[in-house]
Amino acid sequence: MRSVQENSVGSGKGYACRKLTVGMTANDTRDHELGSLMSAAQRGDGAAYKRLLETITPRIKQIVRRQRGFAGLAEVDDLVQEVLLSVHAVRATYDASRPFVPWVLAIVRNRLADGARRYARTSAREVTFEHEEDVTFFSDETNEQTAELGDARALREAVEALPAGQREAIELLKLEELSLKEASERSGTSVGALKVATHRAIETLRRTLGTKTR
Amino acid sequence: MNTDRLIERLATNLEPVKPLRAPAKRAGWFVLAAVAYVAVLIALLARPGLASRGADLAVLAPQLAALAASLLAANAAFASVVPGRSVSALIWGALGVAAWIAAFVAASLAPASQHAAVLAARHEGWCVAVILVGAAPLLAALGALLRRGAPLRPRAAAAFGAISIASLTNAAACVWAAHADRLSELIWHGAAILVLLIGCVLAAPFVLRWRASSGSGLTA
Repeated sequence: MRSVQENSVGSGKGYACRKLTVGMTANDTRDHELGSLMSAAQRGDGAAYKRLLETITPRIKQIVRRQRGFAGLAEVDDLVQEVLLSVHAVRATYDASRPFVPWVLAIVRNRLADGARRYARTSAREVTFEHEEDVTFFSDETNEQTAELGDARALREAVEALPAGQREAIELLKLEELSLKEASERSGTSVGALKVATHRAIETLRRTLGTKTR
Repeated sequence: MNTDRLIERLATNLEPVKPLRAPAKRAGWFVLAAVAYVAVLIALLARPGLASRGADLAVLAPQLAALAASLLAANAAFASVVPGRSVSALIWGALGVAAWIAAFVAASLAPASQHAAVLAARHEGWCVAVILVGAAPLLAALGALLRRGAPLRPRAAAAFGAISIASLTNAAACVWAAHADRLSELIWHGAAILVLLIGCVLAAPFVLRWRASSGSGLTA
């Protein structure tokens, strides 16, 4: 039986791996239990999968924070979510006869490396802008300090004025951010009809709010 | 979207998946199918003297090395898309490929007097076609199989995959027709394999990438 520590260290860049395993040792995470949860998830057990993700997320967050100390909270959350999505996308690659932790750590390490590359690329193109006044545009007449509040109110009224079907589509898909499948199940409307209703609602809102820009 | 909500959504939309087989098993089945395909290819393109070339140890020995290299390289390619696998499969793959290249080069060494025949050997163009065109369906199949894994090292996976396939289609080209001389075989076949390898490595990041999470409506 291979130990988790041995496997994770042997599977690649030793130093990085040892650092990553600090928050995820065999005893801490009960590797066998996590492996069982993942096996159940592969069979389609949503409850086991939820438990698994809830167990590993704080540890992934810890690793991400340690590796990307300079990152803000939002960026750490983005990276954690990226890792979770990656775990979800490749869950078929988990082999129940092998330890779980090295498997998930390899994904974390890969996604962190991708994130670092992306950060290096974007930061190289970014220009820091330090503004002294809280303005959006140079000219005074184009700076509407209450634009956000006014727009929000107008938008709310415009949404309330929409026909029932269009309003429901907008509320489910855009405000509650449900997927098409979820919104379809909740509203009892087909996915196609939801798409049409959303498209029409957006057109109506554009007209109502007088925003012709696309 | 916050992380709790993401977890909720992933768990709610969870669909059962069939775990991938061990890389060695996947590699074994793939190479078996590829050998069957190459055998059919040779039979379809059969030219006079095939039987005698097949029995010639000088022709056969590098092809046996190619078969072993193909198996080890395919194993390395499949192992490279499974998170948490040790790098030993990649090392074995590299050793297998090195051994095959050594056998191929050693078999291709010929006297300097034959160098002039290299460019005159017209049928080498057909060998290149057999290597490249013959490899296309295998590459498509291997790409589809590798995409089921995690694209942790896309370029390494593509390189090993390309070598695994090129070694077999090269074997087909070597057995298929006698060459003007061994050096021409080395140059033309080697160039075709190199083109295949470079093409695959360049295309790898576009083909082997983190895919959309099935059923979640989200992307990784």
